Amino acid sequence: MADIIIDSLRHVYSEGTPFEKVALEKIDLEIPHGQMIGLLGHTGSGKSTLIQHLNALIKPTSGSVLVDGADINADKKSARAVKFKIGLVFQYPEYQLFEETAYKDIAYGPGNMGLSEAEIDERVREAAAFSDVDEELFDRSPLELSGGQKRRIAIAGVIAMRPEVLILDEPTSGLDPEASENILRNICTYRKKTGSTVIVVSHNMDDIARIAERIIVLSKGTVAMDGTPAEVFSEPEKLREYGLSVPSSTAIAMELIKRGINIQGPVYTHDMLKSAILKAKEAERC
Amino acid sequence: MSIILVNNVHYTYPGDDMESLCGVSLSIEEGSFVAVLGHNGSGKSTLAKHLNAILIPDEGSVSVCGMDTSDEQLAIEIRRNVGMVFQNPDNQIVANVVEDDVAFAPENLGVPSDEIRRRVDEALKQVGMIEMSSHAPHLLSGGQKQRVAIAGVIAMHPKIIVLDEPTAMLDPQGRKDVLNTVMRLCREEGMTVVYITHHMEECVDADRLVVMSNGSIVTEGTPREVFSQVELMEKEGLTVPETTRILYDLKQSGFSVPLDELSVEGCAEAIASAF
Amino acid sequence: MLKDVTLGQYFPGDTIIHRLDPRTKLIVVVLFIVALFQAQSWLSYAAVLAAAVICMVISHIKPKNIFNGLKPMLIVIVLTAFLNMFYTEGTPVIPGWIITWEGIDKALKMILRIVLLITGTFLLTYTTSPMSLTDGLEYLMSPLKKIKVPVHEMTMMMSMALRFIPSLIEETDRIMSAQRARGADFESGGLIKRAKALIPVLVPLFVSAFRRADDLAVAMECRCYHGGEGRTRMKVLRMSASDWIALAVSAAFLILIILMKKLWSGV
Repeated sequence: MADIIIDSLRHVYSEGTPFEKVALEKIDLEIPHGQMIGLLGHTGSGKSTLIQHLNALIKPTSGSVLVDGADINADKKSARAVKFKIGLVFQYPEYQLFEETAYKDIAYGPGNMGLSEAEIDERVREAAAFSDVDEELFDRSPLELSGGQKRRIAIAGVIAMRPEVLILDEPTSGLDPEASENILRNICTYRKKTGSTVIVVSHNMDDIARIAERIIVLSKGTVAMDGTPAEVFSEPEKLREYGLSVPSSTAIAMELIKRGINIQGPVYTHDMLKSAILKAKEAERC
Repeated sequence: MSIILVNNVHYTYPGDDMESLCGVSLSIEEGSFVAVLGHNGSGKSTLAKHLNAILIPDEGSVSVCGMDTSDEQLAIEIRRNVGMVFQNPDNQIVANVVEDDVAFAPENLGVPSDEIRRRVDEALKQVGMIEMSSHAPHLLSGGQKQRVAIAGVIAMHPKIIVLDEPTAMLDPQGRKDVLNTVMRLCREEGMTVVYITHHMEECVDADRLVVMSNGSIVTEGTPREVFSQVELMEKEGLTVPETTRILYDLKQSGFSVPLDELSVEGCAEAIASAF
Repeated sequence: MLKDVTLGQYFPGDTIIHRLDPRTKLIVVVLFIVALFQAQSWLSYAAVLAAAVICMVISHIKPKNIFNGLKPMLIVIVLTAFLNMFYTEGTPVIPGWIITWEGIDKALKMILRIVLLITGTFLLTYTTSPMSLTDGLEYLMSPLKKIKVPVHEMTMMMSMALRFIPSLIEETDRIMSAQRARGADFESGGLIKRAKALIPVLVPLFVSAFRRADDLAVAMECRCYHGGEGRTRMKVLRMSASDWIALAVSAAFLILIILMKKLWSGV
């Protein structure tokens, strides 16, 4: 279990210099264990700064981050321990691969935890399976693999630490539709099987709409919106104000409503749109 | 008139066993906006590098503005006519100041100093970056860097501009800015644009859409024609816009709707009139 | 943390000194350094110091910026001062002591010399953009092309390196954070353990540097780069009246310092 509480978090970069920049204004959030969260925001809204606070890579200028009630920045030891509890996959994680073989790279995280060989081996295989990394690739050098394969190995490298919270920053950026789809599917399976908290940062509304149960929108270093996808996507003007758009299915649904079609309930995925239109047609016939 | 003629091109990278291009033929009209769509490894970047003589076909030929790319003597002249913009904005900016970077190509071409100045200012205006002309590139956003890269290319006064996944590393705003800039260059300045991408939403306004897979062209036509081939696109590991997808699904469930409406409004209109 | 590197940093401005031709500034700095090494008496040191201070005032460079740049050199400065203090023969400050009056005099002058040397070069890099600095170097060194020194290639590499330093620093920061997130520990342990901990940072950094180099080479080729031959420049360096005045003043200053050495040696 890992319940996260973010309390009046504020972060200022280069404080006291001419380059001073407030990245996070005052963030208060509660993230109970097991949620599937989509974190949205325009570039520069503070998303990256916020997620790096969750595993103590960045220390708050003021305020605190509590995991299971304990301040993660209390001392050096807890700041390191939290990194194994809260796994963070950076954007373009394939740029961090460094070992000669895929297997060794996935084993790097668990190795740093001081586990036994057998335990590491078990975790590497488990993580590889979650992340769709074929065991045939274990002995290959990550450098000679395709972009999608490298990305999956890098994600497996974080999953292998068995974090209770998995955070992914733009996990599909730069990949083609097929590779993106594969990664999103793996994330959902991982969440279902382990019950861990998953936070996905993305620019892609359609992706977030499909996988998230709760959406948090950041704007200018503050929490601008926080709610279920149905709630958040029902306010397109507000989203636009924060530099974001609605999923394409929502946009189509809105146009249909304008044209007098009786679309019922929230629509933010393809399947919802389809069934809403079919229902409207049904109602028409009666 | 065709400005680019690709004729049955085969190409294998040195040290590879597999052909990266296996018999690609394509002709591109002057002044048109052609989008090339394909998944990673489909050969679309390899094709792009053939258009300005960075790669020379093993078999077949590529002719640009009437020049054969296999003629080494013509390489510089071909590159002057075919500007290239790449995926990673960071790795194509050579100078420490925006305007100096834009000046790089005309400097290489031996253009006189005051003419370079004029071209640089004009190019930066066209991409909307003139206010940032004395900035350091590493302080710009991805979208801004990419527009600087485009300016650096149009300062050569090319006839054609080839963009190889220019938005893959950008956020939605940056993506929009880059696409709009390129679209404007085509529509207003009459530049021929070859736009390589795997984002299908970026292709909807193209004049022509070419879909590549495993080193060959699998289909081509107007975006409406191409995207209505939903089964083919999905087989090739590509998605179609949500507009086409919903129309396709509704048609499967017995609606009488056309498949080739790509705009949100057009799609809604089509569905509404089926009620 | 890595972003705080200030060595060779440029502070954009619009003062007379900022506007001087980079060639002028390069020559003036050389003259300044020669003058500094010709200075022997306290009076001539005072003259060199005054010259440096005047330049700082004109170019709006704050003493704080100079001191920040001096920090990394502190050990060298202290060490040379100490050596001079202890190893100079003369009249002891207290009879029987190793420290002599001459030693103190020499040590103080040595500190002043190093500080002024660094100040002079900092004034150059603080007021001249790296780009125009390499431009100036290319022009000044161009006579060397005659004896087959690849001047264009060398300055091209220099400006390229300068261009990519910020990108590489940013990348290093990013990779370090990513490895920290996987439990890497760069802060604890002995020297060997720390060096080992850097492998996960250095390998990706090299891989990416090579990839960048590859990309960049293709991008340059696409923009018709084919060496220095037949290349023109957008910004042609032109010497203005103020450049000639600056050069004349610096030359006069150097002569003055040399005269001081000849006339009042031993003051």
